[in-house]
Amino acid sequence: MSRLSDIPIRIEPPLAVGGVGGGVTALLSELITLLERLGASQESAAIDLRSLPMSIDDLAGLRRALGEGEVRATLDAEGLSAIRETKVPGVWWVEHRDRHGELIAELIEVTRMPQILMTAPEEIATGARLLREQLALHPVARAQ
Amino acid sequence: MPRSDIEVTVGEMLRQHGISRRGFIKFCTAAASAMALPPSMGVAMAEQLIHARRPSVLYLSFQECTGCLESLTRSFAPTIENLIFNVISLDYDDTLMAAAGEAAESARMQAMKDNFGKYVLIVDGSVPTGAGGAYCTAGGRSAVDTLREAAKGAAAIVCVGTCSAFGGIPFADPNPTEAWPVMAIVGDKPIINVSGCPPIPEVITGTLLQFVTTGKVPDLDEHRRPKVFFGNTIHDRCYRRPFYDQGKFAKSFDDEGARNGWCLYELGCKGPTTYNACATVKWNGGTSFPIESGHGCIGCSEPGFWDKGSFYAAQSTPLWGKAGESSPREVLELTAAAVSAGAVIGVASAGVSRLRQHRSAQDADQRESNGDN
Repeated sequence: MSRLSDIPIRIEPPLAVGGVGGGVTALLSELITLLERLGASQESAAIDLRSLPMSIDDLAGLRRALGEGEVRATLDAEGLSAIRETKVPGVWWVEHRDRHGELIAELIEVTRMPQILMTAPEEIATGARLLREQLALHPVARAQ
Repeated sequence: MPRSDIEVTVGEMLRQHGISRRGFIKFCTAAASAMALPPSMGVAMAEQLIHARRPSVLYLSFQECTGCLESLTRSFAPTIENLIFNVISLDYDDTLMAAAGEAAESARMQAMKDNFGKYVLIVDGSVPTGAGGAYCTAGGRSAVDTLREAAKGAAAIVCVGTCSAFGGIPFADPNPTEAWPVMAIVGDKPIINVSGCPPIPEVITGTLLQFVTTGKVPDLDEHRRPKVFFGNTIHDRCYRRPFYDQGKFAKSFDDEGARNGWCLYELGCKGPTTYNACATVKWNGGTSFPIESGHGCIGCSEPGFWDKGSFYAAQSTPLWGKAGESSPREVLELTAAAVSAGAVIGVASAGVSRLRQHRSAQDADQRESNGDN
């Protein structure tokens, strides 16, 4: 009986070998425009990487071109999300995964700080209330 | 007095289930990505939904195989659990709900009464009209009667699957149960067709989420399918398209061309005439789609796909749609128009009869051209 490895399947070589493909060049050029807009008017933007017809090589090329920056955040909400600033300040690489570890969204955000990391104004009041409730249960506070 | 479930906003429901605002933004971002909406829409959608009330949704299953519901329950983004528990109030689904018999039917009646004019009606399966509707009954009522009754108070109807959208396999020749799609029976309500056999799960949940968020019927194509998912053909977005353009075709499923991943057009791929999101959204959480597994598209999201000849004959093989004769779509439109005029059965029967004559003639042509006896 033949083994799986005996089946003569030939993997088609990637269309763009080495370097950065045309799609990546276009994306990098778009990022320059978005960064200039962010600098001039504080307007944030995002690019959905899953909506673009990018090969694995293209994605790897884009990762190499943008590199790793100083900030790495992990969001633990309905699954883990990795939020990293690239070596290009203002350009963030965001990966959202579900509870099963499946990648459900992959974005590049051009912003000072991805909105999902910021605390919502309405939640600040909730935070104060939670602390008050906790303090009320504290033995010292109750003694007073 | 405690508020009913439907009065609770999505935000309150999220808090009850311990889901944070960030978790919900993430859910909406993934949904926006699946729906090919701009990424900024994810945050906007989350902010809007958090303050919205959860709409009542009724899911009716008629002449179907439950494949569509099986597909729906395998949605990755958004997951059906997320939708059901947080965004919608699924008040009736005879397959999923714990209640049965009288209790289930009274839940449906109550939801229809409480939310008259506001609920979303999902229909799965075609509607048989033969033998007075006796081919599909539940709780002593025929599918056609249940549909007409439930449609009256619906804000919109979402037809899930090719059977409810276009008649599907029950509608295929010789259509022994005289099955019809929903749009041939209900003519006065907004209808969104989410076709496919089954539809892609994320396309079902994405369409629902989009409607719930905006409260509006999305832009639809000529077959009433959301353009955001059905705007391109499989061929337009197929990763094998460059081979088609280069004239490189697999001639059999085990030849050199098939191993090289060349275009499957000559093996019957219906990608060039099939509008769906398989090549972009893909299946099983974005893993792959049929062409990626080496099989051509069978065109399951198009009207009449079951009667368009062999799945393995190239599209250039003549089938139906000769100049001057009615296509299945035209027959459906004719029927829908007749419904509003109150003359459904006669015209529908005439349409079916003409279709059958047409198909018989074409089958004869086909056999002749193949040299069959």
